[in-house]
Amino acid sequence: MSSIQIQNVTKRFGDFTAVDDISIDIEEGEFVALLGPSGCGKTTTMNMIAGLEDVTEGAIRFDGQDLSRIRIQDRNIGFVFQNYAIFTHLSVYKNLSYGLEVKKVDRSEIDRRVRAMADRMSITHRLDQPASSLSVNEMQKLAIGRSAIVEPRIFLLDEPLSNLDAGFRAYMRAELKVLQHEFGQTMIYVTHDQIEAMSLADKIAIIDQGKLMQYGAPLDIYNDPQNRFVANFVGSPRMNLVDGELREERGELHLMLHGGAEIPLAGKVRADFTSDARVHSGSFGIRPQDIYFGDRRGPTDITMHGKVEVLERVGPKRLAYLQVQETMFLAFDDHAQLEVGDDVPFFLPSDASMAFDLDSGRRLGGR
Amino acid sequence: MTDQTAPEISNNHANAGYWTRVARDGQKMGFWFVLPTLLLLVFIVVFPLLMQLYLSFTWWTPLEGIPWYQAWEVFNWGENYWYMVTDPRFWGALWRTVLIMIVAVPAQFFLGMALAYLFIDQFPGRKLFYSIMLTPMMIVPAVVGLMFFLLFQGTGPINDHLGLPPEFSCLTDVNRAMISVIIADIWQWTPLMFLILLAGMLGVPSDQLLAARLLGGSNWQNFFKIILPRMKTVIIIALVLRAVECFKIFDLVFIMTNGGPGVQTETISVFLYNQTFGELEWAYVATMGLSILIALSILAMKGLSYMAKK
Repeated sequence: MSSIQIQNVTKRFGDFTAVDDISIDIEEGEFVALLGPSGCGKTTTMNMIAGLEDVTEGAIRFDGQDLSRIRIQDRNIGFVFQNYAIFTHLSVYKNLSYGLEVKKVDRSEIDRRVRAMADRMSITHRLDQPASSLSVNEMQKLAIGRSAIVEPRIFLLDEPLSNLDAGFRAYMRAELKVLQHEFGQTMIYVTHDQIEAMSLADKIAIIDQGKLMQYGAPLDIYNDPQNRFVANFVGSPRMNLVDGELREERGELHLMLHGGAEIPLAGKVRADFTSDARVHSGSFGIRPQDIYFGDRRGPTDITMHGKVEVLERVGPKRLAYLQVQETMFLAFDDHAQLEVGDDVPFFLPSDASMAFDLDSGRRLGGR
Repeated sequence: MTDQTAPEISNNHANAGYWTRVARDGQKMGFWFVLPTLLLLVFIVVFPLLMQLYLSFTWWTPLEGIPWYQAWEVFNWGENYWYMVTDPRFWGALWRTVLIMIVAVPAQFFLGMALAYLFIDQFPGRKLFYSIMLTPMMIVPAVVGLMFFLLFQGTGPINDHLGLPPEFSCLTDVNRAMISVIIADIWQWTPLMFLILLAGMLGVPSDQLLAARLLGGSNWQNFFKIILPRMKTVIIIALVLRAVECFKIFDLVFIMTNGGPGVQTETISVFLYNQTFGELEWAYVATMGLSILIALSILAMKGLSYMAKK
């Protein structure tokens, strides 16, 4: 078990900067997810931690020790590949024992640990069979077991659940969490699936275009996104993010939306937008579950009018698509009082609303 | 409508008979289609074999003054076979052929494997070196023979470099002639081995190799436990291919030494050539050719079934 310090790490491939000055501190025993869209540099970051890629600038330290001079085979890193990289020409047993055999561990000790791990992963009945005969789900378990058996300092998982069917994915997600507690292992997990990241990780590092967008606990990231990208990326359904120009008229501040409508800013979100005088165009964000219908509840809540275009069933609730001129707002219709075609008022609580600078994407004000 | 469909259903059985008949007639027709090819095959494979078998039981040579089909006049009840079994020159040639095979093929295998291992990673100039590596096997063997003939000349660069007198030549030295031939063969055919083994090595999934390294396996351990087992099929193919080819070695030897000095480098092919065009002992050549064919076929079948079992 190790702590990991990623310090100002940059990775360039020729002219292309895959990872741009990322710093992440991971404490011993923490479960950290690297989250981002495809091609954002999260896998490159992971590969640098594993030593599969060199670091162009900066340093990666395990317990304060720089790893760049240590060979891959001596780093003692558990790595679960996206496609598992099972040794298909060997038996399940030999797959599990590989990491111990190459370290010349005593035969009886190998046998004991292999059987214990197979038991833990419930693949004991498969031990003597060729690994190529396993199902995808069993391969997943074998891949994790094979890495875990050598008791690595850290565990790296590269989109390990993306090949699984939906049912087993949910099961494996829970299983991974249990395993992480059992092994007490520092784990780094790469995924583009925010739900996976939110449900599994102690901390999430959100990466976009090689840059670290935000690093923190899942709920902090969800409730307090520091920029427009994170606000947009985290949460399902996505946050309503509407862009426009700020205009002040007779002491009232309005966000003139690019779609034609306008939002009369009030309360906290108004203060957020005015916190930086240089900002003239902004992005207004509010999560669908914060919008409400019926009677206005707070004095600073913003009133809007929209037409119900679509009602979509999402679990027990209905998601309403509200059109305000050219702009669409998504909101949960919790009381099921809406009909398609209705022209209804809806309310945006100003303290649940977020303000972003449109040019830099930076969050204005704060929680 | 109903009138037409009803009999069709009831005649189902008769229909089946019809299709069987068509199939049978079709088979007959197919036979006629295949026949020309079949005849051609008989002419180019079976006929020469039978002719060889026939001649091998006679004393016939083209000097005999009778056409080959009248060779029965000099029928000798398989004495050729007895002569072959007791002919030291035949056994010598066979042994030398096997010697080249058991030295050159493993050497090519190990060199090819080592080179292939160097080429699995990217490095600057890889493509250029790759092209250079493959050049020897593109050259006509006779030309390679000529190249090495010139290299090993008494006045050639190798003698020059080693400071040996021009009167001495590796190619006419009793001990070194064979070594020279083997070196030439290794030089020419290591690239083929390299090419096949590299293809096999690149076929080993790179993520499995990475996984093996991350599990702590050293390069040697991963090579023997991951790469080598996965290359088994390719290795067998490469070895069989080269062994069979090597057994037929002729051009190199013929040009470099013509089997000499004496019979020091005479391989089976060169021996057969000399018997055919030098001694005109065609019946004897037929005997040896047939015997080697049968022996090799049995060996190949045994070998293949052994490998299939493995």
